[in-house]
Amino acid sequence: MRQVVVRPERCVGCMQCMAACAAAHSQSGALAAAIREYPLPGPRVHVGSGRYGEGFPNRCRHCDPAPCMTACLPGAIYRDGNWDTVLIDPSRCINCASCAMACPFGVIRYHRDPWVSPGRAVAVKCDNCLHRRAKGLIPACAEVCKSGALTFQEPDRAMKRRTDEISRRTSGYVDQERSGEEAPGFMLLRQLKKRSGQLAESGRGPR
Amino acid sequence: MRHLILGSGIAGLQAARAIRSAQPEAAITMLGREPDPLYARPMISHLLEGSVQPSQLELGLPPEVRLISQDEAVAVDAADKTVATQQGRKLAYDRLLIATGADPRGIGAQNTDLENIHFMRTKVQVRDMLEALPGSRRALVLGGGLVGFKAAYGFLRQGLEVTMLIRSEYPLSQQVDPITGGLVRAKLQENGLDVLVGRDVARFEEDGSGRVRGAELTDGTVLDCDVAVVGKGVLPVTGFLQGSGVDVDLGVLVDEEMRTSARDVFAAGDVAEHFDLARDERWVNAIWPEAADQGRIAGLNMTGVPARYPGSLSRNTIRIFDLDLTTCGLVNPPADSGYEILREEDPGRGTYRRLVFLGDRLVGAACVNRIEHAGVLRSLIGSRTPVPCPREDLLRESVHPGGLFPFSR
Repeated sequence: MRQVVVRPERCVGCMQCMAACAAAHSQSGALAAAIREYPLPGPRVHVGSGRYGEGFPNRCRHCDPAPCMTACLPGAIYRDGNWDTVLIDPSRCINCASCAMACPFGVIRYHRDPWVSPGRAVAVKCDNCLHRRAKGLIPACAEVCKSGALTFQEPDRAMKRRTDEISRRTSGYVDQERSGEEAPGFMLLRQLKKRSGQLAESGRGPR
Repeated sequence: MRHLILGSGIAGLQAARAIRSAQPEAAITMLGREPDPLYARPMISHLLEGSVQPSQLELGLPPEVRLISQDEAVAVDAADKTVATQQGRKLAYDRLLIATGADPRGIGAQNTDLENIHFMRTKVQVRDMLEALPGSRRALVLGGGLVGFKAAYGFLRQGLEVTMLIRSEYPLSQQVDPITGGLVRAKLQENGLDVLVGRDVARFEEDGSGRVRGAELTDGTVLDCDVAVVGKGVLPVTGFLQGSGVDVDLGVLVDEEMRTSARDVFAAGDVAEHFDLARDERWVNAIWPEAADQGRIAGLNMTGVPARYPGSLSRNTIRIFDLDLTTCGLVNPPADSGYEILREEDPGRGTYRRLVFLGDRLVGAACVNRIEHAGVLRSLIGSRTPVPCPREDLLRESVHPGGLFPFSR
C-alpha cells in the first residue's frame, strides 16, 4: 500500500504541507475559506526549523505497536488495519495528554478541531487523509509538496531508491583500480560494469 | 496451554490481549479482586472530577477470556503449578502471570476506619467518594503526591473547599523540583486549595454517627472535614507469594522477559520490580503505561514469542485547570552526585523546563506547559544514548525528533 514517504533532506521549509493539511481538515475544505473559520483548523504535519534553519516535516509514523495507543487511558487511539493508520476517536478522547508523553516524535497536538470536536479540545494527529483517500485523492501534504520531501509511494520502492542512493555514495572505489588487494575477478567485474555504464551514457552501448 | 493471570488491571489485560493474538486457542483465565468489569484505573480521578461517565472507563476483554471477579490468590504453588484463592478455588496453570498490582499505603493516624475516609485506588472507592459529596462541604487530602493532587483537583471541581496536608516541604516532592511543585501549588491555590506543609494527621474525629467530622494535626491544629482522602503512595501486593518460591524484594523480581525466579511464572505491572532506565538500578515504577507495556511483553513471552522489556521510567502527565505538567525519569537527583541540571523559565508564557543530565545522557525532565514534545525527551531518556545535540537545545519547548534540533514554532 502506498504511504507518505518523508525525505527531510529535500525539505525547503515552505510549510505548504501545513497549510494544505489544515485546509484538508477544515469545515470548508478550501484554504481561502478555512482561514476564516472558527475554530481555526490546525495542521497535523509540523515543519520544524533546524539549527541552520533547515526544514523538517514531522509527521505521525503510524507506528506498530504504537506507543500512543498503549498509553491511551480511555482506549480512544486505535489502528485501522485496512489503511495501516493509527487514528484517534474524538468521542472517546478525554484530552489527558498521556499520549504526549508516549509519542517519541512529538506529533500529537491538543486543541479544538473544527473537524472532529468543535466543542472541546482533544488530541489531534495525522489521519493519513483517509477522507481524501476514499475519494481517490492522495494525502494533502504529499499532494502539495513540490520539493519531493513528502511523496506518496510504495514503501518498497522508496526503500530501493534509498539503497541505490547509498550504493552510489560508495562507488568511488571502482575508480581506484587497485590491484593485488583482492581476487582479480572482482576488479575485472567492476571495470566491466563501469565501462558498460560509460558506453550507455555516451549512447553507444546497450541500455 | 492454560494461562492464568492474577489481577485484572491493565498489565493483566495487555497480557491477555498479547496471548490471544499469538494463541487464538489457548485457555486464558483472569482472577480479579474488584467487582467491576475491567476499567482504566487512572481515569478514576476524572470520574471524581465529573468530567467522564463511569462507562467511559470500561476496557473490553479479548474474546474467550474467563474472568473470575471478587476473588484473589492466597497462595501460589510453583512446583505443583496451582494457585489457591480466597474463595476456595484451586486453579491449575501452564503459565502464570502475577499482575496483582499495588495497594495504597496506610497511615499511622488514629480512627482511620471512620466513614468517608477513603483511599483513591478503585472505582468503588471513587463511587463512595461521589456518594459522600452531596452532604460535604470541606475535604481533607493527605499527601502531596499525584493521587493527592488528583483528588484535590477533583474535589475543587466538585465545588468543595479543600485542604491538602503535605509532610514534605513542597508538593509533588517525589516527582518534581521545588520550582515545578511551587507552580502547581500556586495554580491550585489560585483556585481555592489550602495547602499546609510539614504537617500530618494525628487522629480523625467522629461526628457521633461513625462519620469523619474533623482531624487533629500533629501540631495540635484541628481542621473540620466531611470527607478525607489518603494518598500516600502504594505498595506491591505480594503477601500471597510467601513460601511460593517466587523471589520478592519490594516487588516481584523479574528479568527482561518479565520472568520471575520460578519456572513458568511471570510478573508485570505495579507488582513487578524491574530496572529503572534513569536511576540505573532495580526499581518499582508503579505507573499505568509501564504496566501496559510490561503486560504486553509478559504475554508474548508466555506464548513463546520472544520479547524484551528494556526497563521502566517514572513519568506522569497531569492537567490541572489550565496548567499542564509532565515529568519523566529522575527529576530530583541526589545532591552532589555528578548530576547536572539545566533550567529555563518563561513566566510570561507560563512555561518552565528542567532537565537533568548524568555525563552525556539525559536522565530526567520536567515540563510545565507546552508539553507536546515531552515524549521526545522521554524517548531520549529511555534510549540511554548520548544527547546528540547541544544540551541547551533541549530546553526549547519543541525538540526536533530526527536530529534533535528545536522547532521554530
